Amino acid sequence: MSETRELPLVEAIQEAYRLEMERDQSVIMVGQDIAGGIFPHTKGLVEQFGTDRIVDTPLAEIGMYGTAFGAAMEGYRPIVDFMFAGFFLNAASPILAQTAQFRFIHGSQMSLPMVITGACGAGMRLGNEHAMLVHNMIAQVPGIKVCMPSTPYDAKGLMLAAIRDPNPVAFIWHLGTMMDRGPVPEGDYEVPLGVAEVKREGSDVTLVANGFQYKNAVAVADKLAGDISVEIVDPRSISPLDIDTILRSLEKTNRLVIVDESWDSRSTASQIAAEVVDVGFDLLDAPVKRVCIPDIPLPGGHMEPYVAPNPDAIEAAVRDVCR
Amino acid sequence: MALGKKQMALLYHNLVRADHFDKMMMNRIMQGKLLGFYHPGDGAMAAGVGASTFLGENDILNPHHRAHGMGYHVGRGTDIGRYLAEHTGKVDGCCGGRSSFHWSFPEQKVYGASGFIGWHFCPVVGWGWASKQKGEQMVLMASGDGSYGQGAAHEAMLFAMNWKLPIVFFCENNGMAIHSTAADMHPMPDISSLAQGYGMPAVVVDGQDVFAVAETVIAARKHALAGKGPTFVEAKTLRLREHDVGTPDLARAEPREAKYLEALKQRDPVVLATRRVLDEKVLTQKQIDQIYQEAKEEVARVEQFADDSPVAQPSIEELQAGVYA
Repeated sequence: MSETRELPLVEAIQEAYRLEMERDQSVIMVGQDIAGGIFPHTKGLVEQFGTDRIVDTPLAEIGMYGTAFGAAMEGYRPIVDFMFAGFFLNAASPILAQTAQFRFIHGSQMSLPMVITGACGAGMRLGNEHAMLVHNMIAQVPGIKVCMPSTPYDAKGLMLAAIRDPNPVAFIWHLGTMMDRGPVPEGDYEVPLGVAEVKREGSDVTLVANGFQYKNAVAVADKLAGDISVEIVDPRSISPLDIDTILRSLEKTNRLVIVDESWDSRSTASQIAAEVVDVGFDLLDAPVKRVCIPDIPLPGGHMEPYVAPNPDAIEAAVRDVCR
Repeated sequence: MALGKKQMALLYHNLVRADHFDKMMMNRIMQGKLLGFYHPGDGAMAAGVGASTFLGENDILNPHHRAHGMGYHVGRGTDIGRYLAEHTGKVDGCCGGRSSFHWSFPEQKVYGASGFIGWHFCPVVGWGWASKQKGEQMVLMASGDGSYGQGAAHEAMLFAMNWKLPIVFFCENNGMAIHSTAADMHPMPDISSLAQGYGMPAVVVDGQDVFAVAETVIAARKHALAGKGPTFVEAKTLRLREHDVGTPDLARAEPREAKYLEALKQRDPVVLATRRVLDEKVLTQKQIDQIYQEAKEEVARVEQFADDSPVAQPSIEELQAGVYA
C-alpha cells in the first residue's frame, strides 16, 4: 500500500471503481445518468471505460437492474447504481425474490457477483423516497450481503471487497457522508465484508453506529469525554453481522446503545439487541437501548433533524444506560 | 428457408418425446407422484419444440412455464431424468430438490425458472446485453400471453429495441391465463402488436405447426445474430385442459364448452405433424412406430431414475452452507 491522502467519500468510492475496472474487464456499471455523473462518484468514468462498460439506461429500474442481473449470470461483475437507494424498491422483486435467493434455490450452482448501490439518508430535506434507508429491508433476505461505510477509508475498501465478492452485495451509502474527507491509501486494499471495527476505544458504554450516525456517535463521545468513556463500534456490514466484535466490546463496557438510522422495529438495532440478549445476557449491567427512527414514515420538510437519530437522542440514551 | 428432411425428422422426434413426457407428468400428478403443480401442455407441445430445437449451444434459453417448459427442455437436450428428480424433490434433482419445479441447467444456459410469471423480463435484458457484447449468441425468451400483462414486459422490449439486443420474444398465445381470456385482458387480438410501439419486427405463426415455428425462429435467430436486434414471434396455440391439473377449467367464471374443446383437439400438433411427415415422405410408418416405442422406453427410464433417487432432506447446516458462494 502506497501513499495515503485525504479524499471525500465519493472520490474514495470512485477510486475503487477505477481500480477494479482497470484490473478486471468483466466489471461493468449500469445506472441512470451515471455517464454524466449525477453523483460525483461516477463522473468521468465513461471517458476512461467507454459506453460498453459505463451503461446508461432509460428510466426503468427493472430493465436497468435486469441488465446487471442477466449479465452476472453470463460471467460479468456488474455494479448497478440506483442513484438513490430507495429507488431499488422499483426493482425489489428481482432483487429480493430472485437475485438474493436464486443461488440457493437453484442448488448452489450459480454465483451472482453483483454490487447494488445507492445513496440515502435523512438530513438533506429531500423527502421520503429520496431519503429512505433501505439497508434493513434488503438485509432481511438471506443470500445478499449489505454494507454501509462511515468513512472514506471504509468506502473504498468495502467497495473493492463488494465488487470481488462472489455474491450480490448491497453497498448503501449515506448522503450525509458524501463529501466527508478522510485518509484513503492509494492502491489496492479491502475492508472485509462482515467484519465490524472498534473505531474508538472506551470503557463505560458500547455505542454501535454506522454511516452518517457514526459521525453523530463521535460528536456525542467527544462531548461526554471525561464524564462517560464511550467505545464506538462501527458494524460496517449489516449482513453478515459481526456480533462477536460487539460482544467483545461489551465484556469491557457492559452497557450497549445501538444507533440505526432506520425504523425501530425489525431493524439491525433490534437484531443486535436480540442477539446480545441471547448470547451475551450475563455481560449486561443495563437494558439495551436503541436509537432509531420511530415507526412512522420518514417525513421531509423540517422534521428530519428530530425524527431521525440525532446527537441529543444518542446522548440521552447513553446517559440513560450509564446512570 | 424451408427445412430439410433431417431437420423435420428431428423436430418430429422431439415433438413425440415432449408429448410423451407431458403425458407422463399429467399421469404422475394425478397419481400423487409429482410435487407442487402441473400445468399441462397437452395439445400445445409444438411451439416449445419448434422454438428450441435449433438453438446454438451458446444461446440462452428461457422456457415457458406451461408444461413446465418440457417442449423447450426436450429441444435443448437438458437431462429429463434430473428434471423429474427435481420435480419430485430428490437428491439427483437438477437443483438438489430445493426448487420443487423451478429447475435450472445453467451449464446449458437455461438459467432457471421462478414462480413469478414474467420474472424473466428483468434478466432477459442482461442476457441480451451480454450476448451482444460476446457475439455469436442470442436469447430465446419464451412466455405466454398472460405474462405480457406485466409492466416489466415493456421495459424489456424498450431496452431490447433501444440497444438492438439479440433476443427473440417468443410468445405462446393460447388465449388463456388461468380463467382469464386473452380477449378480456388484452386490447388487441395479437400480443405481437405490442412490438409496433418499439419498431420491433413481429411475426405471427401457427403454434400447432412445429415446422412453421422452427422456420420462423430460425429466421428470427439469424436476424438477431446479424446484429439487427430483437424479433417478436407470436405462436398462436391453444389450451386443451385446465390451467393446472385439478383446478376447474373455466373461462371467466363459466366452464369451457365441450364442443369448443373438441374442436381444439382437431388441431393436435402431433397428428398434424404425423400427417405431414408421411405425406412428404420424411418418415415411414415403421420409423414413426419406432420413435413412439423409443419415447415410451425413455419415459420409463426417466421415471425409474427419479423414483430410485432418495428424497433430498439435507440438514439445516448443509442448507446454510448453500446460501452464499
